[in-house]
Amino acid sequence: MSGESAFSGIQDGVGPWISSSRAPADNRLDMDTSAEHLVGAVTAFNALKWGYLSAITGFDSGTAAPSDGHIEVLYHFCRGPSVATFRVKLPREDPSVPSIGPLVPSAVMYERELSETMGVNVAGLPGRKRQFLSDDWPEKVYPLRKDFTMESAAATHAEAPTVGGEDEPGTFIIPIGPQHPALKEPGHFELAVDGEIVTHANIRLGYVHRGIEKGAEDRSWVHNIYLMERICGICSHIHATAYVLGVESLAGVAVPPRAQAVRTIFCELERIHSHLLWLGVAAHQAGFDTLFMYSWRDRETVMDLLEELSGNRVNYSVNLLGGVKYDIVGKAADSIRRGLDFLERRLKRYLKIVTTDESFLRRTRGVGTITFDEANRLGTIGPTARASGVSRDLRVEAPYMAYRDFPVVPVLDSRCDLEARFVVRINELFESCRLTREILNRMPAGELSVPAPRKVPEGEVISRVEAPRGELFYYIRSTGGAKPDRVKVRTPSLCNWAAVLSVAVGHKLADIPMIMVGIDPCFSCNDRSITLRRRGAPGGVPGALEQWSWEDLRQYGIKYYAGGGR
Amino acid sequence: MMQSTLRKVLDKAALWSRINSPWLVHFNSGSCNGCDIEILATLAPRYDLERFGVKLQGSPRHADVLICTGPVTRLARERLLRTYEQMPVPKFVIAVGSCSITGGAFHGCYNIVGDIGDVIPVDVYVPGCPPRPEAIIDGVVQLLTKLKGAVPARARTAETPFGGAE
Repeated sequence: MSGESAFSGIQDGVGPWISSSRAPADNRLDMDTSAEHLVGAVTAFNALKWGYLSAITGFDSGTAAPSDGHIEVLYHFCRGPSVATFRVKLPREDPSVPSIGPLVPSAVMYERELSETMGVNVAGLPGRKRQFLSDDWPEKVYPLRKDFTMESAAATHAEAPTVGGEDEPGTFIIPIGPQHPALKEPGHFELAVDGEIVTHANIRLGYVHRGIEKGAEDRSWVHNIYLMERICGICSHIHATAYVLGVESLAGVAVPPRAQAVRTIFCELERIHSHLLWLGVAAHQAGFDTLFMYSWRDRETVMDLLEELSGNRVNYSVNLLGGVKYDIVGKAADSIRRGLDFLERRLKRYLKIVTTDESFLRRTRGVGTITFDEANRLGTIGPTARASGVSRDLRVEAPYMAYRDFPVVPVLDSRCDLEARFVVRINELFESCRLTREILNRMPAGELSVPAPRKVPEGEVISRVEAPRGELFYYIRSTGGAKPDRVKVRTPSLCNWAAVLSVAVGHKLADIPMIMVGIDPCFSCNDRSITLRRRGAPGGVPGALEQWSWEDLRQYGIKYYAGGGR
Repeated sequence: MMQSTLRKVLDKAALWSRINSPWLVHFNSGSCNGCDIEILATLAPRYDLERFGVKLQGSPRHADVLICTGPVTRLARERLLRTYEQMPVPKFVIAVGSCSITGGAFHGCYNIVGDIGDVIPVDVYVPGCPPRPEAIIDGVVQLLTKLKGAVPARARTAETPFGGAE
C-alpha cells in the first residue's frame, strides 16, 4: 500500500474543515484545522470509516524564540501503516478544544490526559474527576508545559477526593484497589452493583503516574533509552525499541540488518515471557492456581534465555541508538532452540487445558464478550482486538525491523469471549516460537551497530510497534538539541480500558476480575466499602438513602453480636 | 511475676511462629512492574520462597511484612501509609528495587515524592533494577535473621517510626 493511495479520498471528505495539508513522510498525512472546525472534521472523517483514533498528543512550543508560543494538539488516526493527523494550533493563554468523545468513545481517556497535563480545556469532557494527577495537585499547574517548575507543583490544593464521589443514589459501590493481591499496577476501580450484577464501572488511574514524559525532556537522547525501558518492566524491550526506532528515523541512521534481527528476537522472547506471565495471572484470577504455578515454572525457561543473551532477566538493555549491544551466536542460538522446543510442548498442553477443562471453561466461555463491532468502535487493540476478530497487528500491517523479511501470520479468533482471548494469546506464542526459529536459521550477517549522532536534527516522528498487549505509540519531537523536546507515549492498556469498563456492565461481580485480566492488567478484590442502603423499613422514609458512617457500622456490629448474631 | 513469665513464654512463641511463617503483603507505589514480576517469580516454583514458610497475603491486616516496590508517587503516598497503618504491630518493611531506595531511574520526575524510606520506616533494602529472585530471597532471610534478636513488642507507627514506648 503506497502512502498516496492510502490517503486518497480523505482530503475530499474533510476538505471544507481543514485549512492545509501536507505529507511529512510516506505513511503520514498532516491536516491543519482549528478548534471550531475540529468536530466537523472528525465527523466527516468518521463517515469515511478510514481508521481508528490511536492517540492524542499535545505539545507546548515554549515561549523562547524563534517559537511564537503556542500549544498544538494532534489527533492521530491510524490505519495499518498510515497515520492521518489533525493538528489544532492553540494560544498558550486559555487554550480550549471541543471534546470528540461523543464521536470517538476511546478519545475520552486521551482528552482527560491532555487537559490534566497540558492544560488544554476540553469542552464537554464528561466528569471532572482527575485521572492521572493526584487530587491535591495545584490548580492551573500543568506539568507538560514548558514553563512548569517543580516549585509550582509543591503547593497543594485541597479538594474533595475524586474517589468515592459522584455516586448514583441507591447503588452499592464496591471499591477495589489500589492495593490488591494480584501484584500489578495499582488501579482503583469502583463498581456499582445491584445484587451480584455490575451496573456501572469506573476507574481511577494515576497511582503509578511518575511523570516520565516530562522526565524525558530533561535527559539526553541516550539516557532516555534506559528511562523508556523502565516505563514497564514486563514489556521493557518493546518500549526501548519503539523509542530507538523513532529516534533513528529522525536522525537518519540506517541500522544494520543483523541488529534488527537481534532486536526482533528479543521482542518475540519478550512476548513469550509476557503472555506466559499473563496466562498464569489470569488462571490465578479464575482460582486455577495449578495452571498459574505451571506456567510460571515454564516461564523461567524464557527468563533463562533472556539472561543468557543479555545478562539480565527483566530490563535487558539490548538497544543502542544505531544498533544493539549483544549478538546471538552459536551456543546461545542452540539454547534458544532447545528452550523453544520445550515451551512448544508445554504450550500444546496449556491450549488443551484452556479449551477442554470443564470448570475453567465455565469461567471463560461466553464471558466478557466484546463483539466485532464493539471492539472496532471502542478502539481496542492487540490480542484483545484479535480475539474479537479485528485484525490489528502492526507486525503484519506495517512490518518493521526483521518482520519485513520474516512475515508474521496473524492469529485471529471470532468468538469474542474470554476463552478466545486465552486461545489467541497461546496461539500467538506458537507463532512467536516459529518466527524466532526462522530468524535464527537465516540470521543476516553484518555489523551490530553503527554510530549515531549525539544531537538529533529538528523534526518530529511517529513510531508504532506491536507490544505484547497491542499497538504502542510514540510521538517524538526534536528541536535539534541534545535532548528531546517532547516524547509522547500511548501505551496499549490505555486503549483497552474503555472496552473493559463497558463490557463489565451486566456481568456478575465474580466475573469482573477475569474480564479485567482479559485485556492483561490484573487485580483482585480488596476489603473496603462505602455502604449506601435503601431504607424500606416501616420506621424510615421509604426509598430514602442513608449513608453509614464508620461509627454507625461499628455500633451496628456491636448490637448484632450482642444479640447473639441476630 | 507469674504474669511476666507467661508473657515471656508467649512472646517467645509468637516470635518463633513469626520467624517460621511470615506473611507478606505487597504494595506497588509507582514501580515499573519489573520488581513486582520478580517478587512473583520468587514465589513461583523455581525459587519457591514458600519453603521458608512465607505466604503472600492479600490483606494488610493479616500481614507481618510489607514488601514495597517502586518510588512513591504523589497519589500512592497516602495509600502506602494507609496500608502500613492497617498492618498489626510488630510490622516490618522490605523495599525492593533501586527506585525504592533513591528513586532510581525516575529521580527528579515531577510526580515522585520520594523513596519508600521517606514515607515509612524500612527494615531491609534489596537493591537492583530489578533485583534477581535470589536477592529478594536473601532480603527476606536477612529480615528473619534480624528478627531472631529483636524485641517484637515495640509499637511502630508512621508518627513514631523507630519505635515508641513499650
